[in-house]
Amino acid sequence: MVKSIAKKEFISTLRDSRFVALSVIVLLLLLAATMVGLHSYQTLQEEREVAQQTVNEQFANSADRHPHRMAHYGSYAFRPKSSISFLDFGMDSYTGASVYMEAHRQNSANFSQAQQSSSLIRFGEMTVAFVLQMLIPLLIIFLCFGAFTQEKETGTLTILLSQGVSLQQVAWAKIAGYSKVVLLVVAPALVLASLLLFGRGGFELNGDLYSRLLLFMLFYLLYFFIFIVLSVVLSALHQRSSTALVTLLGIWILFCVITPKATANLGATLYTTPTKAQMDVEVHEEVAKGVDGHNSGDERAEAIKQELLQTYGVATLEELPINFDGVLMAVGEEHSSKVYQEHFDELTAIFQKQNNISVFAGLLNPYLAVRHLSMGMAGSDFSHYIHFQNKAEQYRYNQSQELNHIQATKLKYGDKETRLSGDTWKNLKPFQYEAPGAGWALSNHSISLVALLLWLGLVCTLGIRLIGYSKIA
Amino acid sequence: MRNFRILIKFEWFNFRADKGLLILTMLTLFAGIYGIYYGTTEIERQRENIKTLDVLTAQNVEEMKQKFPGDADAGDIGYYHSTYAIHNPDSWASLSLGQRDINPYYIKLRLLNLQSQLYDTDNINPLKVLSGNFDLAFVLVYLFPLLIIGLCFNILSVEKEQGTLPLLLSQPISLPLIVGAKLTFRIMIVLGLALILCLVAMLWGQVTPDIRILLWLSVVLFYSLFWFSVAFLVAAWQKNSAFNAVTLLGVWLMLTVIIPALLNVYVAVKQPVPQALDLTIKQREVVHGGWDKPKQETMEKFFALYPQWTDTVEIQGRFAWRWYYAFHHLGDVAVADLAGEYQQRLHARHELVEELNFLSVPVNVQGIFNAMAGSDLPSHLSFLQSATQYHDSLRGFYYPFLFKQVSFTHADYDKEPRHSFSSTPDFTSTYTGLYKLVISVLLVFFIGLLVFRIKQ
Repeated sequence: MVKSIAKKEFISTLRDSRFVALSVIVLLLLLAATMVGLHSYQTLQEEREVAQQTVNEQFANSADRHPHRMAHYGSYAFRPKSSISFLDFGMDSYTGASVYMEAHRQNSANFSQAQQSSSLIRFGEMTVAFVLQMLIPLLIIFLCFGAFTQEKETGTLTILLSQGVSLQQVAWAKIAGYSKVVLLVVAPALVLASLLLFGRGGFELNGDLYSRLLLFMLFYLLYFFIFIVLSVVLSALHQRSSTALVTLLGIWILFCVITPKATANLGATLYTTPTKAQMDVEVHEEVAKGVDGHNSGDERAEAIKQELLQTYGVATLEELPINFDGVLMAVGEEHSSKVYQEHFDELTAIFQKQNNISVFAGLLNPYLAVRHLSMGMAGSDFSHYIHFQNKAEQYRYNQSQELNHIQATKLKYGDKETRLSGDTWKNLKPFQYEAPGAGWALSNHSISLVALLLWLGLVCTLGIRLIGYSKIA
Repeated sequence: MRNFRILIKFEWFNFRADKGLLILTMLTLFAGIYGIYYGTTEIERQRENIKTLDVLTAQNVEEMKQKFPGDADAGDIGYYHSTYAIHNPDSWASLSLGQRDINPYYIKLRLLNLQSQLYDTDNINPLKVLSGNFDLAFVLVYLFPLLIIGLCFNILSVEKEQGTLPLLLSQPISLPLIVGAKLTFRIMIVLGLALILCLVAMLWGQVTPDIRILLWLSVVLFYSLFWFSVAFLVAAWQKNSAFNAVTLLGVWLMLTVIIPALLNVYVAVKQPVPQALDLTIKQREVVHGGWDKPKQETMEKFFALYPQWTDTVEIQGRFAWRWYYAFHHLGDVAVADLAGEYQQRLHARHELVEELNFLSVPVNVQGIFNAMAGSDLPSHLSFLQSATQYHDSLRGFYYPFLFKQVSFTHADYDKEPRHSFSSTPDFTSTYTGLYKLVISVLLVFFIGLLVFRIKQ
């Protein structure tokens, strides 16, 4: 009996020309989004790769220079796009693509896509994630709103129940039927996306990529299932199809349009973001209390000087076996980087607090939960961005210190003239960004994962139980 | 006319009795008030941050005075001292924040080459800017259509489904009168709500009272009428409530989400902007190359641009500030064409969107709001222009010290130019947008009328 109800729903839906038309539209949009995503991914990625290679070569082939000159010449880190970010651009369009890395200074990540667009981009981007997050639920609502109300309106529900099946059984049967329909719409697109991902060159295939993609799909399937059950339950609780539909559409608007914006704005209102100007001044003041790398006049430099003179048992800086300039520069860099990192971590913590409002709102809104999980798997979320920025800063610090070390060991004290051979720079490793693994990505979204599972559990137990209270006229 | 008034009165009774509609209206009201609150506090915060910049500059000057107690070399001051180019918000920006959260509203400047400083960004939370601003413009552009849809989707169908339409028609009133009265009632509710919200926002945000009050209200009026026309068009089809609800929401989704997203893709393909990576790479290469080039060569190039300093003393030794700033400036000159092209491409992008915005009325209206509030991309580009001029004036201020080798005294700090830029509303775009909007309204309304006649 249950099986035949599921089968009936499946077949009758496929016979409904309006639904088929809508499905075809959604499917086409899904395919379009895949192609657009891939195209945009490839253009941006190629540009960044070329840029990275250019600056790496420029650095390696630099002229003969003083090492500190080289430290100021610095390097660039261009953020590579994660392979499956073509499915979900996430925050990528709003984060800077390039970081200039030089001695003593931490620069902002500049040139985001959003800064290069008119306000049109704020309406949202055509990505696979957008179709999956917003349009498929709408399709599901359209598919399911009449699940029970139609049977009530035509009086077939009483007949069905007289066959000896319970309301819950009918509900499960319908859910099974609808799930099959949704799968039929989504599966071709997901398969195509995977084929494109694996079929085309330029992607590095590895276990990590597979697990990210699989989890990405799994989360969406759970999300769709939640929406199907939710819609069927609400249909059972209503008497008329039109009121069931209006309620469901209201929920969709609340979930997908209003709360995401409201929670993000609320977070920003509650926790004030310090301006970069303010932060730079604070860093500068705190660093000034330490060693100023350019000025050996101040007290702590003096202390280091005395310590070194004592250790090596010499009377003047010129007699030291190492170059005091380089040593001082290294100590200064260490101090200023530490101070900067503290402030950067504070800033990150403020952003996290702001974002947590949206993350915890995921407990009330499965759209938010799946949105965060999706960005996480696609590598276009907040944590990945911060991860990149931290790696760039780490590289900047190491490179500066390496150059300071070269200055300390290869040049004499007070020597501002000598230029080291260009070959010296070839030994320094270029910047290479290694994205973190799927496990790391998932661990940043444990709350969203819990939220999604909680929703699943809730609609399947409480929701289905509620159906028992449905009035059968 | 009497019948019309009776119908309106009964619509009011219906509305009062319908909890769902009341909740919907109240929700929109609250959303609007929150949007106004968010917009004004955000702009207030930006204003306060801008004020703080003055304090930071003063602190920096104090620090300089301590660092260089006597007469200083202007080269040192130019290197260690920083000021800010400032983009003040227009008083209307609190109603439509536009791109002000993405583009920095201040730029920290030193005498060094401009191109390495001009594109620095402020601290931005990417999730926040991705989610967008919950300002009044958002409420008007996105949520008001939903309110209108909620109020109108079953305007005729509900009477049919309840079986009250034949009863109504048996009275001496015609169907057009019924529809007209129902629509008029709903238009009054929506416009009343919109008027209250806009006036509150204008008072709260203390906007400059000018022609924009009239323009803003007309845009809101016509935008609401546009959605009423859409609702009328769908109602004229005389289908059931469920069909109407789905169709109207589909139209909303098409106009506010899908078409803009597709347009965005089209614009990106049609008007590509290389991510300015070339620009940033080249300026570093040229500026740092300056160290390795013979000083005479650099100076000659510089003097060709600034002949007034030709007679200055020849540079001896390893380092001289005037040589340093000369090759920094030559770095800017070398990428001037790239920088110009970059900004020009961004302009072209914006113009392409303006050309195509007739495809989606919400995109058009959002564009009008941003243009009026001076919070769109062209405003930011004007700010960049203004910051560039400011950097020129800074160079103009420091060059005499550097080239005539005059020492920089404490009194000179006060003579240093300061910068402040306020974006101006773009009335041309506003009028073009409004014109397009009115055409859209008329178009949809007359199609609705036609369908209504045919179906009747």
